[in-house]
Amino acid sequence: MSSMLSFEPKYRVRGGTLVGGDLFDFWIGPFWVGFFGITTAFFTFFGTALILYGAAIGGTWNPWLINIAPPDLKYGLGLAPIREGGLWQAITVCAIGAFVSWIFRQAEIARKLGMGYHIPVAYSVAVFAYISLVVIRPVLMGAWGHGFPYGIFSHLDWVSNVGYQYLHFHYNPAHMIAVTFFFTTVLALSLHGALVLSALNPPRGETVKTSEHENSFFRDFIGYSIGTLGIHRLGLFVALNAGLWSAICIIISGPFWTRGWPEWWGWWLNLPIWR
Amino acid sequence: MAEYQNIFTRIQVVGPPYPGVPLGRESVTRQGRTGHWHLLGRLGDAQVGPIYLGMTGLLSVICGFIAFEIIGLVMLDSVNWDLRQFVRQLFWLALEPPPPKYGLRFPPLNEGGWWIVAGFFLSLSVVLWWVRTYRRARALGMGTHVAWAFAAALWLYFVCGFFRPLLMGSWSEAVPFGIFPHLDWTAALSIRYGNLFYNPFHALSIVFLYGATLLFAMHGATILALGRFGGEREIELAIDRGTAAERGGLFWRWCMGFNASFESIHRWAWWFAVLCPLTGGIGILLTGTVVDNWHQWAMQHAFAPSYPPEAFQALPDPLTLAPGGAR
Amino acid sequence: MSYAVKAAGAAAALVASVALLFTFERPPVDSVQVGYRGLGMEQVVNPRTIPATLARNEVPEVIAQVPAVGPKAGQVYRNIQVLGDLSVGEFARTMAAITTWVSPEQGCNYCHNPNNMASDEVYTKVVARRMLQMTARINKEWQSHVQQTGVTCYTCHRGNAVPTYSWYNNDRPPRAAGLAAGQAGQNLAAPSVGLASLPYDPFTPYLEQDALVRVQTPAPRVAPVKPGIKDAEWTYGLMMHMSTSLGVNCTYCHNSRAWYSWEESPPTRTNAWHGIRMVRDLNNNYITPLQPEWAANPYGPPTGPVQPRLGPHGDPLKVNCGTCHQGAYKPLLGVSMLRDYPELNAITRLDAPPPIRQ
Repeated sequence: MSSMLSFEPKYRVRGGTLVGGDLFDFWIGPFWVGFFGITTAFFTFFGTALILYGAAIGGTWNPWLINIAPPDLKYGLGLAPIREGGLWQAITVCAIGAFVSWIFRQAEIARKLGMGYHIPVAYSVAVFAYISLVVIRPVLMGAWGHGFPYGIFSHLDWVSNVGYQYLHFHYNPAHMIAVTFFFTTVLALSLHGALVLSALNPPRGETVKTSEHENSFFRDFIGYSIGTLGIHRLGLFVALNAGLWSAICIIISGPFWTRGWPEWWGWWLNLPIWR
Repeated sequence: MAEYQNIFTRIQVVGPPYPGVPLGRESVTRQGRTGHWHLLGRLGDAQVGPIYLGMTGLLSVICGFIAFEIIGLVMLDSVNWDLRQFVRQLFWLALEPPPPKYGLRFPPLNEGGWWIVAGFFLSLSVVLWWVRTYRRARALGMGTHVAWAFAAALWLYFVCGFFRPLLMGSWSEAVPFGIFPHLDWTAALSIRYGNLFYNPFHALSIVFLYGATLLFAMHGATILALGRFGGEREIELAIDRGTAAERGGLFWRWCMGFNASFESIHRWAWWFAVLCPLTGGIGILLTGTVVDNWHQWAMQHAFAPSYPPEAFQALPDPLTLAPGGAR
Repeated sequence: MSYAVKAAGAAAALVASVALLFTFERPPVDSVQVGYRGLGMEQVVNPRTIPATLARNEVPEVIAQVPAVGPKAGQVYRNIQVLGDLSVGEFARTMAAITTWVSPEQGCNYCHNPNNMASDEVYTKVVARRMLQMTARINKEWQSHVQQTGVTCYTCHRGNAVPTYSWYNNDRPPRAAGLAAGQAGQNLAAPSVGLASLPYDPFTPYLEQDALVRVQTPAPRVAPVKPGIKDAEWTYGLMMHMSTSLGVNCTYCHNSRAWYSWEESPPTRTNAWHGIRMVRDLNNNYITPLQPEWAANPYGPPTGPVQPRLGPHGDPLKVNCGTCHQGAYKPLLGVSMLRDYPELNAITRLDAPPPIRQ
């Protein structure tokens, strides 16, 4: 099969599934299917169809402008008419179904290849962040209408307004931590990518370098090298914390703080130690 | 799942510290003592030091220290040299750039002059640090990818603090040095110039920010998941593909139909990380200089969604009802 | 490090993180949608704060109304300058109301010489007369802001001789020179702007002077003269004050994706726009001209309370949004006390130039 890599046949063996035994244990092109591949495809197909339907009744096919909004707050945690946010509810169910299926699919592939579960665990943090936005926070605030609308720029309008519901969102302590983790992740990724590339791509006439060169460069550079294994632990840690604190920063906005975020810092300004 | 998941190092071997591969001819010697720190060893290498300080490193640290001191002393002055208030309000304090009336001239020291002096030394510090990243790589016969990645970050730094104020004709447009004040500046930039979310380069920068985070999570998790096959030996596996590289590639191929190689994943990583400040810097540079109101620009280019007007129950601008200027 | 030290450190960290939890609020919360669904324009309120808000905004008992018959106060008493058209009964009722609203502890003597009620020798009487004119100005000429609800002395005073919320010029740094003299009036933890580090005196430029509040230019391309980022920070400071004074968030008046757009702003923004002009009018035509009275009595009349009546720059304590609103989206949560005190509408002489509405 042309989609197979030269070394691939010896890895394409049965086993490792969590559900369904051998029934779905096959490949389509490069993709392995599995039970959760089927459920992923099912939810993706219906979710996409609903988005297309939403676009069709929404009055625009301009991809930047398509907006599928959640229900009005008056519907609370109940179901809304399909054109009044019910579509958003159905798409949310499909999205969660597809994302969670994908987690388990990754777990099954990891098992097939004898790998650890780091990838599905990491991905589940991203799914948790999504569920925070469209399920956890809306439930805590008592209405599905607190979810964000599905649209490329309309969701940014939501981000803007929700931020200004708390007057100055940059003062949200969890948002500060999340942004710091995001920037740190990009810094660490650039350094890691660059270090590996600089060892593999030396100047003309030089031989390819080793991981001892990588270590030596970083010790010369900042006095410490975390090493080839450690950088991947560090990278995974900072990347997952970026997602985790993003989720925390939006969950606390509303359910656990209703005023301006700068005002939250009043506890610090009023500590008895300053008297 | 009681099996080993390669999250922490459980057994550490302590040997004599490694001084590092030999340095190139133009280098002096490495400085600093070497030691082992057990807690660091749980996550990565336990060895700390030596360091190569060199002339550029030394000058960079000194310049950075000068900038840091100026910023700190001005902050301390702004609370009347009251140390208790300095600690209490530390996050609120700042060294503010000059007011608009000075344009690009050098203002009195206490009206933003110190901001220019501190900015000069900080810029000197980071540029010297860039020279250092370049020369340290060359001294070991390596590529200069780290230096060019760092240059992308410097681009954003100089756009915010130098190039854009220059184009706007006023230092007052630049970023203050301070924790909350620089966040105020960020918010005010977006407010003044009509919503940065409608700046396409800002959008791209965020895509690369999130993309880079996603990539590092995927890459870090993949390498850790390949721990039992020695997946962290990336250089070796990129040159001579072993089972770890094969399994890592096949995981993503089976999962999403596509995979990078042990070398190319680092190219993806480098470009995502580098494009984040690169596109961000372009977005900031265009803000106020070329585009004055991003939301209006978005409406002109048909990418700002519209909402049913009746939802707002809006009234007309009172200024249109009363003659006179926009007061 | 000994285990005792480690254990103590861990315990301290635990206590600190638990204590940090108490700096937050908790669900359930109430929310009110303002704009289109999914746009995020909504007010969020902690329902457990509502009883305190209601208590803070309780309206005092109405003094029994009296018929407008009999001789006019202006004919019976001497030196009646603005309430002369009231009947003697109405006049007495008004005086009694003002006393309970403004000086319940000091009584009549807060403004009057008990031996000669007609005398203007106590300066607070002069101030009170001017404040009556101001009240009439607000109720007659600023209905674009106060609507039919109107205001009374109580709206600001709430039983205090000096209203709880006021401001004075603070735009110049507290010190004349020093490394940080030119910090542009910002970068301190400032209650006036909701504890942000934004400019801490947004009142002087916008509520006394008529600085440009709008910073987003309507033109999509570069305009010849335009505000900068620092101007936006000043406007942001004013808006923080408005939000915290009214206990609302930015989306009460704006769709934040396009602050400038009136097409996407709720009508509350129009009301607030008039409010800014109203406060400017009150400060410049009613409060500031009284400065000499307070300068002569910088700590108030002999009856007390002993409280500064001027700011450090010698200007009087002035009005901002918080002076009336005091944390409520409508002062006294929208209850109209004016309806019960029609006497306040009998003032005809306002003694001020026509209001500026631009």
